[in-house]
Amino acid sequence: MRRTLSWTLAALALAAGGAARAQEAPGPTPEEQAALLQALQQDSAPAGATAPRPATAPAAVPSPLPAVVQSATAGFSLDMSFILDIVGAYFSETPLNTGGHDPTRTGFGFQGLELAIQSSVDPYLRFVGTIVMSPFGLEIEEAYGQTLSLPWGLQVRAGQMLTRFGRINPTHPHTWSFVDQPLVVGKFLGSEGSRGLGLELSWLAPLPWYVEVVGSMTDAAGECCARSFLGGRDLGIEGIDDFLYTLAIKQFFPFGRNWSLMWGLSGQFGPNSSGQGNRTEIYATDLYLRYRPVGSPERVHLSLTLEGMYRVRQVPDDSLRDWGGYAQLAWQFLKRWETGARYEYVSGLDGDPLDPDWTDGRHRVSAQLTFYPSHFSRMRLQGTCDLPRWRENPIWGAMLNLELAVGAHGAHAY
Amino acid sequence: MRRMLCGLAAVAIAGTLAAPREAVSKVRVVATLATLGAVAREVGGDRVTVDVMASPGEDPHYVDPRPNLILLLSRADALIVNGLELEIGWLPPLQAQSRNARVQVGGPGYLDVSAFVQRLDVPTAPVDRSQGDVHPNGNPHFLFDAGSIGRVVRAVADLLGRNDPEGAASYSARAASLAERLDRASMEAVAKVAALPAASRRVVSYHRSFPYLYRWLGLEEVATIEPRPGIPPDPSHVSRVLATMKATGARVIVQEEFYPRSTSQTLARLTGATLVIVPGGVDAGRGETLVDYVQQVAGGVIHAMSH
Repeated sequence: MRRTLSWTLAALALAAGGAARAQEAPGPTPEEQAALLQALQQDSAPAGATAPRPATAPAAVPSPLPAVVQSATAGFSLDMSFILDIVGAYFSETPLNTGGHDPTRTGFGFQGLELAIQSSVDPYLRFVGTIVMSPFGLEIEEAYGQTLSLPWGLQVRAGQMLTRFGRINPTHPHTWSFVDQPLVVGKFLGSEGSRGLGLELSWLAPLPWYVEVVGSMTDAAGECCARSFLGGRDLGIEGIDDFLYTLAIKQFFPFGRNWSLMWGLSGQFGPNSSGQGNRTEIYATDLYLRYRPVGSPERVHLSLTLEGMYRVRQVPDDSLRDWGGYAQLAWQFLKRWETGARYEYVSGLDGDPLDPDWTDGRHRVSAQLTFYPSHFSRMRLQGTCDLPRWRENPIWGAMLNLELAVGAHGAHAY
Repeated sequence: MRRMLCGLAAVAIAGTLAAPREAVSKVRVVATLATLGAVAREVGGDRVTVDVMASPGEDPHYVDPRPNLILLLSRADALIVNGLELEIGWLPPLQAQSRNARVQVGGPGYLDVSAFVQRLDVPTAPVDRSQGDVHPNGNPHFLFDAGSIGRVVRAVADLLGRNDPEGAASYSARAASLAERLDRASMEAVAKVAALPAASRRVVSYHRSFPYLYRWLGLEEVATIEPRPGIPPDPSHVSRVLATMKATGARVIVQEEFYPRSTSQTLARLTGATLVIVPGGVDAGRGETLVDYVQQVAGGVIHAMSH
């Protein structure tokens, strides 16, 4: 059964390959295609199945390691880098930060030491791993394989990964414009953002502009990474409804060489920890408007990011609805200098089982100034005023972050 | 959730219907840099369509990895890159997201032209980033050199011939003719330099972008305004550059258009030197050809030397 399936897939792939490249040479006729497929099938069958093993076959000495592992140390390119983030912070009161790498108290703090590894596995797959070390231990932030050559614009990722929900969630802290994570990401998705073990299928639509459709199926459990779903209370998997599903459409519009806009729509659907088959849905939209004059000697760029989320949770005898978002502006005004401002708002509910203290709206305003000695180091000063309505006083904060990157780090996506 | 799925299905169907159909069977070539695009266009002629990822005035180290470039790569039959890690900061994620096996490193449509040139500045000892943005496999800026472009022209003809065997003869004929014209332009420039006094051949560069150009024209670089590759100039280094220019009599400063100009202009004013802005690549939008381009690059420097 499995063989039949795999050969059906192979036949489909062969047909797709033929269709996609039809303009180069006339594609194979159905007879030729059948003959090729049969030959491939014979070649890949177990040796004994098609031809008798020669009597004089030399005894094979099993190698202790596959060849690829043996040779991995002999000059193969493996992009490997360490990124260190440390911070010194002052807060007027105990901060109520929601991000797993946010500074949490006055004093020095360790935001993380990230080990990032990327490499091609073979002509078909790429490996991406991100391991974060902290004083509390090791954490596998991401470790997945990504296909490189599926037909019809399809791509699969499998493993532990950040889901492609919204704009900031699939990115790592060293690409952010601020020292801390947006409040709404920590409150709705989790302190580490939305991530899990699972499978993702994405499709690049054959349209004149960039349209990517993404769907993934991941674990719905994890306090850090699926808190609006099963969170820390893993109820186990009984059916296909017990996974967390993420759907997203990402579109890109270039306006000339200097301006561009990315627009995303995302949704997450899965069970929540209140039991009785209760479910949570989160909807989000994100806009990223970027101005970057090509050929600017100072490499000036300006970007505006808007991201909003709306969450609906079924709880016994009720349905909880809340929302939040942020708007941020980042401006690199000189080759080595960047500044930015961010405004956030997240609503609150009475009797929220996940955040019982967060009973009302919360505003937060942040501003930052960053100096880049080179592209491998950065110093960022950030000031923050946090206004949770249920607290009497605003919480003032000042943070100074130092980031150092060494080794070969893969380039980042747009 | 069901409504969202319906929406997705609608987009999928619309996408399939709107899929562009290629009317004429041309080889779709994507080149990272404008000069490589010009090579593909002049070698390929009517048999190819060419798209360029970085515009001629853009710093090739820093190109925005815009998603429309993913779309270009997803539909490409061939991808021509400069190599030597010039595009390392932006190209690899675009290739990975293109879902196109042909344009992956080692794929049948992938061509890294640096494999065909005689490399300069290859470090003989281990390097690290305290030396700035050094390229561990050699200096990647060989497209300012007519001789290197000639080698690239032949490599591109081979690539196109492999991907479109029917056109192979046409590609190699066009490549041979183009290489000959480049050669002639190259020799004319060398003859002009030879006619100038030896003392005028000392030059200063902003970034270490021109070792190949200087090898071609027989010039000597006495200083770079950047203290180390990719590290912006500081006052003490710039005053050393000024002293070197005075001591050696260098009267030409060469830089690409996307680097800041004030320091170069000030140095030029203080020493009576001429600042030459070398265009980063062939400007096909203005109808410029490869031969025009190499003549312009060499001509600008030679003109400044003769003053």
